[in-house]
Amino acid sequence: MSNMSNSTPPETVAMDYSSLVRASRRLDTSAHKTKLRVALLSDAATQQLVPLLRVLFHRCGVDASIYEAPFDGIQLEALDANSGLYHFQPDIIVLLNSVQALRAAFGKRTGDGSEFLGEKSSGLLAVWDAIHSHVSATVLQSTYVLPYDRPFGNFDRKIAGSLTSVVHSLNAFIAQQARTRSGVLVNDVDAVASWIGRRFWFDDRLWDMAKTFCAPEHLPAVAKNIVDIAMSTRGRSIKCVVLDLDNTLWGGVIGDDGVDGIVLNAHGDGEAYFRLQLFLKELLKRGILLAVASKNEMSNALLPFDKHPDMVLKREDITVFMADWNDKAGNIRKIRDTLNIGLDSMVFLDDNPFERDLVRGVLPEVIVPELPEDPADYVRAICELNLFETPAFSAEDLQRSEMYRAEGERRQAQAAFANAGDFLRSLDMRIVAARFDAFHLPRIAQLIQRSNQFNLTTRRRTEAECEALMNDPGVTPLYVKLSDRMGDHGLIGVVILEPDGETLAIRDWLMSCRVLARGVEQFMMNLVVEEAVRLNKAVVAGEYIATPKNGMVKDFFAEFGFVKAGGGEDHTHWRLVVNEYRPAVTFIKHAAETTAVG
Amino acid sequence: MSDIVERMQAVFRDVFDDEGLVLRDDLTAADVENWDSLTHINLIVGIEREFKVKFTTAEVGSLHNAGDLKALVQKKLGASG
Repeated sequence: MSNMSNSTPPETVAMDYSSLVRASRRLDTSAHKTKLRVALLSDAATQQLVPLLRVLFHRCGVDASIYEAPFDGIQLEALDANSGLYHFQPDIIVLLNSVQALRAAFGKRTGDGSEFLGEKSSGLLAVWDAIHSHVSATVLQSTYVLPYDRPFGNFDRKIAGSLTSVVHSLNAFIAQQARTRSGVLVNDVDAVASWIGRRFWFDDRLWDMAKTFCAPEHLPAVAKNIVDIAMSTRGRSIKCVVLDLDNTLWGGVIGDDGVDGIVLNAHGDGEAYFRLQLFLKELLKRGILLAVASKNEMSNALLPFDKHPDMVLKREDITVFMADWNDKAGNIRKIRDTLNIGLDSMVFLDDNPFERDLVRGVLPEVIVPELPEDPADYVRAICELNLFETPAFSAEDLQRSEMYRAEGERRQAQAAFANAGDFLRSLDMRIVAARFDAFHLPRIAQLIQRSNQFNLTTRRRTEAECEALMNDPGVTPLYVKLSDRMGDHGLIGVVILEPDGETLAIRDWLMSCRVLARGVEQFMMNLVVEEAVRLNKAVVAGEYIATPKNGMVKDFFAEFGFVKAGGGEDHTHWRLVVNEYRPAVTFIKHAAETTAVG
Repeated sequence: MSDIVERMQAVFRDVFDDEGLVLRDDLTAADVENWDSLTHINLIVGIEREFKVKFTTAEVGSLHNAGDLKALVQKKLGASG
């Protein structure tokens, strides 16, 4: 085995129950800047989950405070406005329902199975509604693990009122209802349990003794699933998968074997590679970009994309294509620079252990899964890591790859201009800046949750919180959309303003890094100052809260002539006297204006 | 110290997070600061894993002190091999 780096593949970090319990002791997470308040409500015991959650959040750089509701207190706590749950002011509320408790209630039913299903379904909705009438915290609703008992045998599924059928129906109900509520995310515990297998999942003895949710050895998987979802609501997401080519996307070496010689087909010996490509295509369709980092001649590397009939991935599916003989860590950096995304939002897939170790050693933030020896197991090994969580899915995701393609064209066009001003003028940029509306809420929340670099305050607001802002007449929450003659950038900025005495306060300001250096922020600042004038405010106030990722906007306010008005190193306050502001020159127009630029 | 007692003591020390804990037959939950319902389950699971045995609900319910647990482990190990 190569011993060139001391970094560890993600899946070998200790995840067993005892190691995690041990790690949870004397754990000091207070230094983490990201705080998260998580409430845990269950009809099973939750004590054993708490240390696991704390350790796993700690590994994500999060200081988690965890509130444990009294045992079996889901309804009680949710329905009582004065409960400990609401005093705790949670960001995330985990509702963990056990099939063991459901089975016990099912055994005592007085009506038939469908009445029981109706009661449980409306009970779930009542809890969600009660919670969201009090707080805008994101609810993580578990699915029920399918039971192993089948009193009718296979006929169980033909009986609508059997426990098995009731659980199937409840899980379908949870999924269906969650689709219409952005504040409810599904914690698919049944998917976790079925991966292990029902036979090994349950420990009935420990349920009897202590109401333990499942066999303790599987509690880490329950905790990890919760942490994965929670982290996705706090901006952790994979934005790009970087691919090796030879023996990863196809079998063989294109430079040696040629298009006819590589192994790739829909059936038979090349099917493993075909299935990996199908999986990657699904990721692409849901908005994750694909890039290539291959040690090849470019002309050879492109051949299969252009010529091989069984290639699922086409040339236009690859947003950044790097094929040369330079080291892959360097090329991954270049891909990062081109896409303007964080290294920690990238996954690198390569069959070669040497390349994996090299990238882990040089770029430890990049996620580099161990790939098994047999390509038939690639997709399963990747799926087991559950890398691709998301708290939302918007129209923007569907167009992402197209947007980056247009961006590539812009960069090429830019090279033809002598100066940046001429180039920007040629783009014919149009902005829509408008108050939050219901149609744009999913994308607004997604941008708020994902933007790390150009984000002055990094306050992660949920879709429900954005909706509350939308309906608050005392606040001016604006979204910004940009388009130009090359294509549509979509919704790329959010600015939240609030009058506060003599001043107009900029509560949040964040933008997608796709649109830097176009004059968008100058255009927006002009708008903000116009709004201050309209509201008769003499001063615009701003604040900057430092995070490990937003150093690029440290001097944002100073650049617009704001004067520092207090605060320490990490959290500064700024003031701008409206009369002294000189509007910045931009090459952007309001989308409503139809006159040609020039 | 017998091998069984030594291995049991290591599990106790780990579960109760006390490197100085000395295993005695008459040790009970009252003597150990961290011995609560949560660590009790961890103790049972830890001992089971250490000795590759499985206790029944009734057996766990009949335990009054560490000596009972030791006797149970010995019985299980004797029965299995």
